[in-house]
Amino acid sequence: MANIAAKRIKREFKEVMKSEEVAGGAIKLELLDNSWTELQGEIAGPPDTPYEGGTFLLEIKVPETYPFNPPKIRFMTKIWHPNVSSVTGAICLDILKDQWAAALTLRTVLLSIQALLSAAEPNDPQDAVVAKQYKENPTLFALTARHWTHAYAGGPAAIRDFDAKVQRLLDMGVDEHQARVALSTYDWELERATEQLFNREE
Amino acid sequence: MAETSEAQASASASAPGGDAGGDDDKHDERMLECNICLDTARDAVVSMCGHLFCWPCLHQWLETRPSRQVCPVCKAAISRDKVIPLYGRGNTKQEDPRNKVPPRPAGQRTEPESNSGFPGFGFGEGFHMSFGIGAFPFGVFTSTFNFGDPRPSAAPRGTAQYEEEQFLSKIFLWVAIVFVLWLVFA
Repeated sequence: MANIAAKRIKREFKEVMKSEEVAGGAIKLELLDNSWTELQGEIAGPPDTPYEGGTFLLEIKVPETYPFNPPKIRFMTKIWHPNVSSVTGAICLDILKDQWAAALTLRTVLLSIQALLSAAEPNDPQDAVVAKQYKENPTLFALTARHWTHAYAGGPAAIRDFDAKVQRLLDMGVDEHQARVALSTYDWELERATEQLFNREE
Repeated sequence: MAETSEAQASASASAPGGDAGGDDDKHDERMLECNICLDTARDAVVSMCGHLFCWPCLHQWLETRPSRQVCPVCKAAISRDKVIPLYGRGNTKQEDPRNKVPPRPAGQRTEPESNSGFPGFGFGEGFHMSFGIGAFPFGVFTSTFNFGDPRPSAAPRGTAQYEEEQFLSKIFLWVAIVFVLWLVFA
């Protein structure tokens, strides 16, 4: 039965390639090895969200028991979203866990992840820090997410104020990603971020 | 992609109506694809909610989540008894797909595993272990452990055998008490 996984992925792959979403550039799927177990997905940040204009890469691992068990998917592109870990890229999405159904395909899963970017679920968070900001300070959350999209996913909109603050920390010798995480976590208050960064190093 | 165009080419070649008919055929075929393996359904069954599957595929799906048996397409409740086998005309032998391996839902489930007793003691059917001192009538002092041993069950209350057993057990109890007293005071 193990080859049902490879056989199905092959079929799905063909179908994705023919789908209108691929034609429209909303999603992409690429094969990473010949055994059909590792693929790379790509989704476009949905319009009218802070992720607009960004391209997000996803790591897709197909288990031997596919399609009876869901594929393992995580974000490879760093993203600021309540349901995605800003550290590991792990995604909190029910259909990737207990709500998986065998008739779901890589295409529908990629579209679901894209939909998750438009409609976050802050009450079932993967990243508690991001979810807190999303709920308590939505404006700042949107700016932060837009800044991350620009920094990591090739998004068009730079946030000048944020870039300047990251640069300040870079000048102090802090790693760029660490600086961005600290600033994002402390609502872009430079002092608190600096304090946290240097206390941790001691 | 190369394979697809080949498939299309052969489909249109075999279709009598030429290119125009080819597309229709393809569409018809897709209608009969299993929702799990995405191949043309073999040993097809249809759920109460109307979704088509290969029986082996659906069987494996139901086995994967015994506690959450839902339709893989619409998540409606689904069960092995409530699927209908489909018999097309082309198939000469019309046997119920559920009768093949994997077994038909109704009546052919494997038996629950027999209780194999203590996993640590694999000495066959009846394994006895006794500790104790003393010899025959004082066998009451021995503590007996029986694993997997089909001990005769107690006789039903009210029968003559029941009375006899009660009587015997009382005698043994008294013998035991006398023995203990003898041990203490002698």
